[in-house]
Amino acid sequence: MNCPIQSRDPEKLVAYAAGALDPESARALEQHLMGCADCRSMVADQAAVWQALNAWEAPPVSPDFDERLYRRIEQGVPFSWWERLTRPFRPMSLRQALPLTASAGVLLVAGLLLYHPDYIAPAARSGEIVRANQVERTLDDLDLLRQFGTADSGESAHPDAR
Amino acid sequence: MPGDLGRSRLLRASCAVLLAILLATAVAAQQPPANPIDRWNRMSPEERERELAKLPPGRARQIRQRIARYNQMRPEEQKALRDRYDTFSHLPPDKQQIVRDRLREFRRLPQARQPVVHREVVRLRSLPEAQRQASMNGDEFHSQFSPQEQQIIRDLTAYMAN
Repeated sequence: MNCPIQSRDPEKLVAYAAGALDPESARALEQHLMGCADCRSMVADQAAVWQALNAWEAPPVSPDFDERLYRRIEQGVPFSWWERLTRPFRPMSLRQALPLTASAGVLLVAGLLLYHPDYIAPAARSGEIVRANQVERTLDDLDLLRQFGTADSGESAHPDAR
Repeated sequence: MPGDLGRSRLLRASCAVLLAILLATAVAAQQPPANPIDRWNRMSPEERERELAKLPPGRARQIRQRIARYNQMRPEEQKALRDRYDTFSHLPPDKQQIVRDRLREFRRLPQARQPVVHREVVRLRSLPEAQRQASMNGDEFHSQFSPQEQQIIRDLTAYMAN
């Protein structure tokens, strides 16, 4: 027979491990397995999965579980407000949530630094007094620089921006 | 192993957070030092009014209007002007005065000549020093620009950002 892995038909191996293959195909496959290490390995892995599933026992539920569940669905009030609020975060462990929260925080800070540096440096507020004369001189310089910078853009500059 | 997988994810997430912090720090470090207008904007309204009260009312009103105009500029336009001022403010005072004088002369040039002179400054600034000097010593430069324009171009090319 053709090798199931090479012929891209691994379902045959899965079915064999699950005991779902008909006897004739199973015999043919067993012959192939004797000479194919890859298929043998895959069958062994599948068998281990099935073994683990067989060994797993679901925790017992209370006898009236179904009844209570259906009653709750019918009532249309599935969860309390607190449950609804925290539900999306419940599957996330602290270990998963911590780096995510830290990354979000760092991105937020980076964004603030980029677009609103003033928010990050509140200490600078009210700390330094700039004299009105100095502001006026700077405005003069800025007007000169602005006019030069826009000279080639067709934008009308303000020769006397005061 | 699930434990190893979790640790590996945690490690990768930590590296990502560290990288983000480094990026944010680099971005913050690239912020140019605030010019007097930005520092003025960080003062409290009371501090600003106290400073403006020292000037005659007409001058104080003009400063308020000019600052409002600066604050209303488009962010990209404001950033370009801020960068240009940053370069200018790092020049020694005598060079700053030369640039001021040339910019005032530039402002008095005929409207049609201003873009031509501006383009020449931009062109020359994009050239390596030797080529720039050769270009400014060439016949074409002397024939295209008046002596005053040549002086404006020479000084602004030497000291100014585009």
